[in-house]
Order: sequence, then C-alpha cells, then structure tokens
Amino acid sequence: MIQLSKNYTLPEREEEIIPIKIVGVGGAGANALDRIVLDGMEKADLIAINTDVQSLASSVAAHKVQLGRAVTRGLGAGGDPEVGQQAALESAEEIRPALANARMIFICTGLGGGTGSGAAPVVAQIAREAGSLVIVFATLPFSFEGKRRTAQAHAALGRLNQIAHAVICFENDRMGDMVAPKAGIHQAFAMADVTISQSARSIVNLIQRPGLIRIGFDDLLTALRSENGRCLFGFGESDSDNRAHDALRQALKNPLMDKGRMLADAAHVLVQVTGGPSMTLSEVEILMQELNRQVNEHTQILFGTAVDGRMGNRLAVTIISSLRAEIDVASDVAAPLPVPAPIWEQPQEAAAKIDILPQPPVLAPAPAPDLIPFEPPPPAAELPPPIAPVEKSRSRVIMPRKKSEPEEEPKPARQKFGQAKQEVLQFEPVTRGRFEKSEPTIIEGQDLDVPTFLRKNIRVK
Amino acid sequence: MASNDLVVGLEIGTSKICVVVGEGRPDGTLRILGVGQAPSRGVRKGEIVDFETAMKCVHEAVVDAEQKSDVMIRSIYVSVAGGHIQSFNNRGCVMVPEDRDEIDEQDIEDVKVSAREVSIPASNAFLHSIIQHYHVDGQDGVLNPVGMLGEKLEADFHIIHGVRNRIQNTIRCVKELPLEVEDVVFSALASAQVVLTQHQKNLGALVVDMGGGTTDYILYVDGAVKQSGVLGIGGDHVTNDISMALRIPMARAEKLKLEEGSCVLGNCLPGETILLKDDSGFAGKEIERETLNTIINLRVREIFELLKRKLEAEPFINYIGAGVFITGGCSLLDGIEHLAGESFEMPAHAAHAQTIAGLTSAFENPQFSTAIGLIKYAQAVQAERPARGFRRLIGKFFSYG
Ligand SMILES: Nc1nc2c(ncn2[C@@H]2O[C@H](COP(=O)(O)OP(=O)(O)OP(=O)(O)O)[C@@H](O)[C@H]2O)c(=O)[nH]1
Ligand SMILES: Nc1ncnc2c1ncn2[C@@H]1O[C@H](COP(=O)(O)OP(=O)(O)OP(=O)(O)O)[C@@H](O)[C@H]1O
Ligand SMILES: [Mg+2]
Ligand SMILES: [Mg+2]
Repeated sequence: MIQLSKNYTLPEREEEIIPIKIVGVGGAGANALDRIVLDGMEKADLIAINTDVQSLASSVAAHKVQLGRAVTRGLGAGGDPEVGQQAALESAEEIRPALANARMIFICTGLGGGTGSGAAPVVAQIAREAGSLVIVFATLPFSFEGKRRTAQAHAALGRLNQIAHAVICFENDRMGDMVAPKAGIHQAFAMADVTISQSARSIVNLIQRPGLIRIGFDDLLTALRSENGRCLFGFGESDSDNRAHDALRQALKNPLMDKGRMLADAAHVLVQVTGGPSMTLSEVEILMQELNRQVNEHTQILFGTAVDGRMGNRLAVTIISSLRAEIDVASDVAAPLPVPAPIWEQPQEAAAKIDILPQPPVLAPAPAPDLIPFEPPPPAAELPPPIAPVEKSRSRVIMPRKKSEPEEEPKPARQKFGQAKQEVLQFEPVTRGRFEKSEPTIIEGQDLDVPTFLRKNIRVK
Repeated sequence: MASNDLVVGLEIGTSKICVVVGEGRPDGTLRILGVGQAPSRGVRKGEIVDFETAMKCVHEAVVDAEQKSDVMIRSIYVSVAGGHIQSFNNRGCVMVPEDRDEIDEQDIEDVKVSAREVSIPASNAFLHSIIQHYHVDGQDGVLNPVGMLGEKLEADFHIIHGVRNRIQNTIRCVKELPLEVEDVVFSALASAQVVLTQHQKNLGALVVDMGGGTTDYILYVDGAVKQSGVLGIGGDHVTNDISMALRIPMARAEKLKLEEGSCVLGNCLPGETILLKDDSGFAGKEIERETLNTIINLRVREIFELLKRKLEAEPFINYIGAGVFITGGCSLLDGIEHLAGESFEMPAHAAHAQTIAGLTSAFENPQFSTAIGLIKYAQAVQAERPARGFRRLIGKFFSYG
C-alpha cells in the first residue's frame, strides 16, 4: 500500500527498527558484505558465513559462522557445491541461532564456487524456517570462468528460487560491461560488490527510513520477485540545479538498466527518492513524470521517498526491478540436483504468514489527519507460489498532489569540480563510505570524509 | 584490597574499547593491575552511534579487565572525544570580600565560576576548566594564591566544553551496564598525563592522539593547557581512502595499511609492488607500494596541516620547546614522526604512556594512552581533594591540568 503525506514537514517519527540481517555466504558473499560495511550499514546485523577461515578472519562482519569444521577443516569447499552443502548441513545448528529473530534476511552470495552454491540454499532454508522474509542477492559467474561453474551456479539459482521469497540475480558478464575493458577481474568483482551493496542498502533504507511515502513489504516483494529473471538496477545522485532530472538520468544510464530500455517491459518498478530537507514536491513530481515516460502503461510504479538530513543538497534515485526471463537464462537452468535435504521440508507452507510490518503498521491505518491513503493494498502478504505468472496490473503511479508550498529558490550553479570527481569515480556513486552514519567532518569548507586524493584531484595509480 | 584504592579508566574508542585498572599505593604511586580490551562497534568518529552495540562492547571490555586484574569494577573514569568538543581561554575575576583580606578556597571556586560566565551554546556543557595562572592584585604568575593577601583575584582558565547530549550518551552507556561514572575527561587531556612529563609540559609540548575516528590534541605552554580540541578525522579515514582508491574492502585496506603502509614517500624501489592475496581463485591484484604510501601520506599530511593551521590562530604554537608527541594507534604508522616533524616544523616523537609505575612492556602501546592517562588523571584529582564527599560536591569544577 502506498500512502502519501500531504506535506513535507511531517515530523520524523521514532519508528521501530525492523530487525534485518544481511548474510554473506562464501568468499564472494564475504566481499560483498565488506563492501556493505564500507558503504555504511547500521540498520542491519551483518553475518559472514563461510567454510574458509581465512576469509572469515579478514571479514569485517560482526558475526561469523564457520561451516563444516569436520568436512572442510577451515579450508574452502574447493569449488564443489556438494562439499559446500555438506559443510552447511554439518553446521546447521550454528547457523540457526545466528539467523534467529530477524524479520527479514538478505543473503549475498557468489554462485559458481562450492560454498556459495552449496551452502546458500541451506542458509536460505534455515532463514525461511526461522520465519523470516528471505531475499537473495546472487551473482552468476563470468562466462570465461567455465561451463562447470556456470552450470553449478544455475543449479544453485534454481534451488534458491524455490526457497527464497525473492532472488535478485546479477550477471557478472554484465558487470564486466560496467568497467573499462582492460580494468581486470578485480574491478569487475568490486563493481558487483558495489551494486549488491547499493541495492541492499536501498532496500534496507526503503524499509527502515521514516519515509514520507512508505512502501509495503508486499509491494517490495512483488517488484523483486520473478524467477530466473534479470535484475534491473539503477542508482543516480545529483546536486545540480536540475538534480531530479540528472539523478534519474544517471540511474537509467546504469548498464544494469540497459539504458532504461528494459524498464519498459517491467511489470513492477520500485523507485526510491532520497533527498535532504530541501527536496521539494515539484522535484519529486518532475522525477515521476519523467520516469512515467520510460515505462509502459501497465507498469506498476512503487514509489517511496525519504528525507535524510545527511544528503545535504544531493538527491538520489534508486530504481529496482526485475524482468521475467524469456528464453536465455531460464532455459539453461540445469536440472535441479537431486535434493538430499534431510533437514529441510518444502518451504511453501511457511510462506503465507509472514508479517514484516512493524506493529502497529507505522503509517497504515492510523487516523493521522495528514495522510491521504491511496488505493487499497493489493492482496496482503500472500505469497503466490513462485511459478505463478506475474499479474499485469494497471499502472499505479501515485503522484503527489498539487504542491502546497512555494517553490524553492533556484540554487546557484555548482558544476565546477563535480566534473573532476566524476572522472575518477567513474561508475561508483559518491558514497560517504564508512562515515555514512556519522556527522560529516566539514573543516574549512571541505568534506573531509571524501578521500584526500579525490579532493586534491591527485590520480593514484 | 580496599576498593576505593582502585581507579579504573575507560576509553570508548572508535576502534577499540580499553579498560585500565590501577591501584593507588600507600606511597602515593599508582600501579596498573590489568588492561581489558574489546573491539569497538557502534562508534564512529569517537561518538556512539549505535547504543546497544556499543554497550555490549564496553561490557565485554570491562569483563576482560576484571578477569585480567582480578577485581570487581564498580566505578570508572571515562574519556570523551568527538568533533563537538571545543575550547577557549577565559579570565575570571573576583573581589575578596571587605571583611577578609586573605584569599581562601572559596575565592578560588568563585573565580572559576566567574571564568565560566561566558556564553557557550545552550546545548553545550562544560567539561573542564583548567587553571593556567592566577593573578593577585595584578601580580602575574601566582601558583597558589590561597593564604595570600589581596583584594582582587583573577585567574586564567582553559575551558573545554561539548554538546551535552553527546557527552551524556557516553555516561548513559556506562551507567546502563551498570557502572558508576566518577568523572568524564576529555581524551587528549587524559593521554597527555602519561605521554608528557611535567618537564615537557613546562617546556611546551603538543600532544596529538590519533585514533581510529578522531585526532585529539592538547597544547601545553609553561606547564599550562593553552589549546585543545578534536578533529573528526583519524585512522579510519586513512583506511577508507585506501579502500576507495584501490577498490578493496575496508578489512583488506586496514590490513594493508597496518602491514605494508608508510607515510614516507620516495623510499620504494621503482616499480616495487605488493601482491594482494585473494581467495576467489584468481591471481592476486598487484598494487604499487608508492601508490599505497601516497594515499596514506596525503591524508596524514592533510590532518597535520589542518591541525597546524587551527593552532596557528593563536600564538602558543610558537612557544613549544619540547616538540610534538604523537600517540594513539596511528602513531604506529611507519614514518609518522618524520611526516609530523616536517608538517609542524619541530621535533616530533611517537609516544606511549610512560610516566606511570608498574608499566610493563605489554602496556607500552600508544592505543592505551587515553585509558592509562585516565587513571593517572584520576589519581591526581583524588590527591588534590582527599575528601570524597567534597569531590562529589564540586563535581567537575576542579582544576588539575
Ligand atoms: N561480487 C563478487 N563476486 C566474486 C568475488 N570473488 C569471486 N566472485 C564470484 O563468485 C563465484 C564464487 O566464488 P567464491 O565466492 O570465491 O567461492 P565460494 O562460494 O567461497 O566457494 P569455495 O571457494 O569453493 O569454498 C566466482 O565464480 C565468481 O564469479 C568477489 O570478490 N566479488
Ligand atoms: N601498527 C599500526 N600501524 C598503523 N596504524 C595502526 C597500527 N595499529 C593501529 N593502527 C590504527 O590506529 C587506529 C586505532 O587507534 P586507537 O586504538 O588509538 O583508536 P581509538 O582510541 O579506538 O579511536 P578514537 O580515539 O579515534 O575514537 C586505527 O585506525 C588503526 O588502523
Ligand atoms: Mg571461497
Ligand atoms: Mg582513542
């Protein structure tokens, strides 16, 4: 359900923080988790799960679970998902308490190796059994990693699709397109990590931020769910005079958006706009109108906005969606491994009664006079079985009503050194990294949280 | 052992929590009984951002200290830092009442109160008023005016204040453990107690405590505190810069900084590289050593230069005789003395706690300076006001520096 507050001065409520856990499984999962920490994440517990003790030791996650002490003896799973699965089953009783008491669990993993492919489905199953909403972020290997890894990855993806409420799948080959051709594998992985971090953070923020317009969990799931689908993700940020337009354009430029072309085919698109206190209703309107032109009339746009004092003059747009697979991915999903799965039953039953909204639903039926409810919610938290066709619903863009406040004074142009920064950062959105949750250190007019080499415009390497 | 001989210092740092247990001896010396530690989470730039998590970590460190020192901890001295902490110098003035011509303790208290009659932001609270000098009837440089004859007592104070809520956060975190808070002390003031000797304070010295989240400083001239404050920049920024420049996770960047990093440029062989280990099954990434050192050098140099400009707003930096003393975890960075010497244009030393009894090499770690400094500070305070009841009464209004 979407609700829109009439004005932008709604006091921020001290809202209940929803217990969320983010789990990294395997080496790639651990790296993605590190990236999430680096980008700042205080509204979720982070847990690293791996067979490889070395990787665990260097992880910055607060909680760590070693898998398969007996099976792998602290080494990795050697690229064998069977070993990864055995290791996870051996350690199920250690995973369980680590995942307990979360309404929502994100699992980040790189499919193709042994631990991620073998253990992530077990972890997802345990998360389901704990009654949490489970969303998986998975990467598929580069094609040059070989057929075996690709097959292993697709087998694992097939199982994850059966277990998790939603799987967001990033194809490494497409990540590769995002970095310069000769940048090397590390940059491509780093890019994948950034993208995973960015989307996990957007979703967590969507849920945790006292947003002006809140998106329900069911809507969120609808936008994310589609088996074997391709994930569309875009992030843009701008502080220009025309920041709403610029941020959206940048988000649509993201290669995972296919220049926005694919957006036209999406049934559901999730959009979150975050800005500082200076964000105006008319900016949000501009943004929504432009976005509306990118999608077809059947697309349902799920829209959330949040005011965050730390954004300063910046305005950020996150777009998340997924497409149903047509021919490519779905058809070469390997036949599912014969699932031994002693500890897990078929997950479907648990699915129906997930209750993620903080009680009482924060902005929901409360008779707050300053809230205009829009349209009744779609059929509540019922999760259709994953095979169900995505229902085409009418376009449901919720536009803010007529603006009630005088328009913001136009801000002075500010382009000068944005140019230089952009060049160095390339595709990486300017994040405040580890310092996101702290007050910026501004001395002599400079934001000292931004790396010195960037501010001094010194090229390293 | 009588528990009131125990003094316990707690630093809730950005990187680690440190608890030092000391015991006051009958001969007036202080011995360290044990140091407890725990990695810190939920703290950014020296301030608590996630209360529950930080509290857990503090608890862990306290338990560790109790085990190591075999005592029960009931009350502690806690340090505070954070970019909100500010300071200034101010002179207080009182007239000795007509019916009396000898200056007494009450006048000392009154002159301090008078020095605080300046406006600080309503949301702020005083942390310290540290006496610099007294003047009796215009006569300068009086050390202890009590008992002197005079009509007018003036005193120069160095006053440190910060945002009340943020200071209270720290106090609340300790109280909910539950432990009693004896006093709250600005971190650099604590560190200076064990990093500097009295002689160095007299000669003039700058202490820079570079931790994970903040760089805390305090400047002494003629034995008195003249300037102090906090820059919300520290080792985390160095690590974050490395992480962003080389596009590696924070954990790896941190490891790289500790194991391979240096502030000194031009010491590498041309083309010298470091091979980053990698567990993805692909060949490791190679980075140039000089690149790593450049990233570090740029950041640390910038911190020093900012601090220098800040200090130069007043003349005191020109009267430093002993030099600059870098402590805190970042003082372990290779070559930092050299870089500090170059930036401040004076002798620079990396320093750890040394002016305290019972220090074994295990405690010779610059990361402990603040927490060890706290117990030295506590001991000095307690020596100055033996009656415990009296201490409560005057609370934070005391003058040791
Ligand atoms: N996003 C991202 N993906 C990675 C990274 N390293 C590897 N991958 C991808 O993830 C897949 C799985 O690799 P790992 O996560 O290292 O393997 P694992 O799951 O730990 O399995 P074992 O090493 O066999 O125990 C690889 O095939 C790569 O496609 C990384 O740093 N980031
Ligand atoms: N050997 C070393 N070489 C370089 N840097 C180091 C070394 N050891 C620790 N550090 C750095 O020191 C910092 C931690 O120092 P310290 O323990 O004094 O900080 P803290 O007291 O926890 O934080 P703060 O006082 O800023 O809140 C970290 O940034 C760490 O990277
Ligand atoms: Mg591995
Ligand atoms: Mg410190």
